[in-house]
Amino acid sequence: MKRHKSVFAVLVVILLAVSPVVEAAKGNWKKGRIYYRMVCTDCHVNQAGGKISPAEKTKAEWAEYFEKNIHGPQDAPAKYAASYFVSKEYRESIKDTNRAAAKMLKIPDEQLLEDVKAFLNHTAKDSDQPSRCE
Amino acid sequence: MTVRVMIFKRFERFWHWSQALLILVLLISGFEIHGSYDLLGFEDAVTTHRTAAWSLVTLWIFAIFWHFTTGEWKQYIPTLKKVDAMVRYYLLGIFIRAPHPFRQTMLKKHNPLQRLAYLFLWVVISPMIWLTGWAYLFYAKWDDWGLDQYLALEQVAFFHALAAFMMLVFLIAHLYLITTGRTVMAHMKAMITGREEIDPDAEEE
Amino acid sequence: MKLSYIQRIAGAVLGYCSLLLLMAAFSGTSYAVSTADHTRFKELQQDFKSGPEVTRACIKCHTEAAKQIHKTNHWTWEFLNPDNKQRLGKRNILNNFCITPQSNFAYCTACHIGYGWKDETFDFTSEESVDCLVCHDSTGTYSKPPGKAGHPKDTVDLKHVAQQVDKTSRDTCGACHFFGGGGNGVKHGDMDDSLAVPERELDVHMDAVGEDFTCATCHRHVEHDVAGSRYTPEAAHSEDYHIHRKQFEEENNAHCRACHGNKPHKKVDKSRLNNHAKKIACQTCHIPRIARGGVATRVTWDWSTAGKLDESGNPLQQRVDGNLVYHGKRGTFTYAANVEPEYIWFNGEVRYLLLNEKAVVNEDGYVPINDFGGSPDDGKSRIWPVKVFRGVQPYDPVMGTLVVPHTTGLNEDAYWKNFDWEKAITAGMLSAGQPFSGKVDFIKTQMSWPINHMVAPAEDAVGCDECHSKNGRLKDIEGIYIPSRDASVRLDTAGWFITLLTLVGVLMHGFGRIVSNLWSKR
Repeated sequence: MKRHKSVFAVLVVILLAVSPVVEAAKGNWKKGRIYYRMVCTDCHVNQAGGKISPAEKTKAEWAEYFEKNIHGPQDAPAKYAASYFVSKEYRESIKDTNRAAAKMLKIPDEQLLEDVKAFLNHTAKDSDQPSRCE
Repeated sequence: MTVRVMIFKRFERFWHWSQALLILVLLISGFEIHGSYDLLGFEDAVTTHRTAAWSLVTLWIFAIFWHFTTGEWKQYIPTLKKVDAMVRYYLLGIFIRAPHPFRQTMLKKHNPLQRLAYLFLWVVISPMIWLTGWAYLFYAKWDDWGLDQYLALEQVAFFHALAAFMMLVFLIAHLYLITTGRTVMAHMKAMITGREEIDPDAEEE
Repeated sequence: MKLSYIQRIAGAVLGYCSLLLLMAAFSGTSYAVSTADHTRFKELQQDFKSGPEVTRACIKCHTEAAKQIHKTNHWTWEFLNPDNKQRLGKRNILNNFCITPQSNFAYCTACHIGYGWKDETFDFTSEESVDCLVCHDSTGTYSKPPGKAGHPKDTVDLKHVAQQVDKTSRDTCGACHFFGGGGNGVKHGDMDDSLAVPERELDVHMDAVGEDFTCATCHRHVEHDVAGSRYTPEAAHSEDYHIHRKQFEEENNAHCRACHGNKPHKKVDKSRLNNHAKKIACQTCHIPRIARGGVATRVTWDWSTAGKLDESGNPLQQRVDGNLVYHGKRGTFTYAANVEPEYIWFNGEVRYLLLNEKAVVNEDGYVPINDFGGSPDDGKSRIWPVKVFRGVQPYDPVMGTLVVPHTTGLNEDAYWKNFDWEKAITAGMLSAGQPFSGKVDFIKTQMSWPINHMVAPAEDAVGCDECHSKNGRLKDIEGIYIPSRDASVRLDTAGWFITLLTLVGVLMHGFGRIVSNLWSKR
């Protein structure tokens, strides 16, 4: 039991040491933007028929979207999870036709999902976007 | 009574036909580059023209060598003798089935008018087309070679096109005149098989 | 085997840790890590109340940065053209977009790299007025709204932004340069926010999953002074140099040849293209169309129609396909996307129409606000792509000059407040120190913008026959012989006539032979 305790203590220390790094790494909006524009938008515009924009939804609506985790298609909404479309499995399936998916093949699913979420939050309808003089 | 005599040797026929093909390709691609029509697209026309031009250069190196080693170059020595007879034949005699004033032999395969035409080809058209052609091919080097002060692309292109028109006219005349043999296809057959049917009994002057 | 409670927790924690480690490892791979973690600097661990407060913290360590900035065009908005001695720069020139920052500084200096330039009293020697964050933000949350004289939005978390500073990026440069002229892609045509994350087809160098160049990869800086100004661009085919062979301090690298050299076409079948480079700028072939990223660029702007209000008294706004085509404050606009630029002979000499100079209409009926020098014979011009922007803007028909309208702001003189041109121009010209007759008319103007960005991959370059043809892209370019476009008409007429004559001749001769043959048989 003593040994277990010491193992546990070491692990806790490691966990604490690693946490700040992870905090910084959680959701890189610029990477999320690359994936969103080059994979999500590319498919929506060229195959799924229509422009998409992060500003379609508020931050809360995006959070709800990922909570439900349903991507569509519309006639069978539950067929694919939203998270599937950032997964390695999906990236693997399109890597020959999509350079961004090929380039980002090795990013862990959870990390990429966070990146995309960070971008959508960054650019959501109610985000504090840079103002323009138009 | 006629006999079949070898007039055009194997290399000569190879030279003639490959040159004919190359000139045809050069004319077609050349007039496209000139802007007369759209066929291959400018880039492919240029590539084709350049490839054909270099092929013709290679062919000529062999042909010149062949002409000098075999002495065949003498076939092109011009003569004014009987030129009037040839002109009269084409203008009149040919219609009244008068005998051809020239007898083709191994040693003299071109008639006097033909010799003059080829002389014009070798002395005027060819140098013009080759000199301007080389200048065109090496346009990129004019700077390095200091030629850009003496040459303008517009003039080079003008004389190249002028020569090309003369070549075209020559080709049309040539294509027609090969039908004026003993039969319509006689000369054509001769250039394919190398043998011309000759009447050995006809008078030699 | 049954696992103990502790073992299970340990296993879970271990799994979690390895996942975190993996995430951390991957997140660190594609971004260059600085040797300085700005979150750990005491100076930055405070709740900044204003931009200048942040700058004071920055220059404690970066002692020379603000002084360096003070010498740059980005700071002074002023440029003395060494060739023709014209005093240019954003603060001096006019254009046919928003016309001029003069008398509108508080609004226009949203794009100044400083804080507080609201009028002529701005202190250009103040170090704390330098805005470090607008160029060095990495969070994408920093922004400067029009009307605040360059100060950031109140909602910006300055502490967060200050702690996350980084090198400049396409986003930071683009925050102003993508939005020139008052909107996304409006001004340049070769710059809009599609270049923030460009595909390879849009920009072969900036390709976000390829070379991923930033603006600064080419526009290199020495002591914060960024290379590459359109006031004195280099247009000619000049001496070969290569970035690797010379100290970058010596040369401006914002040129193709800085990396590609003077003979960039290496393949044997393409090498003759190197010769084209003497007469044709790289951009002419390698930027086949502008506004290719899905954002339309504005091509005309008619100020004379401005002033319409909707039922509730607000300026009328109309959009077509998402593009603003009418705004009561500004007038009527048209757009073009994925469009071929225009082509001109250009030698790098640019002359601007200044405020005190008479506006002269050219043969096309437009006043050229900037005039690009160049001719086929001067030995230093090449054929360049330009976006020509055409407009209708207010001018003084008595003085014969273009005018400064005071458009922005909430005071009674501002055009956007009272929609009275005379008042607005009187105030604007007074502020600019220029005479104004009181009469307002409108005149057609044009400006040229050299095209340099959105360089396509080689396979998408302009094809040979797009210029080597009768009605190609260069159909209006004079003084150069282009095979397939230019052939001597006289030669062609004579040549084809003689060819035809020969053909008719031989056909008639042949016909004669056939007839005589038949005759003799009979």
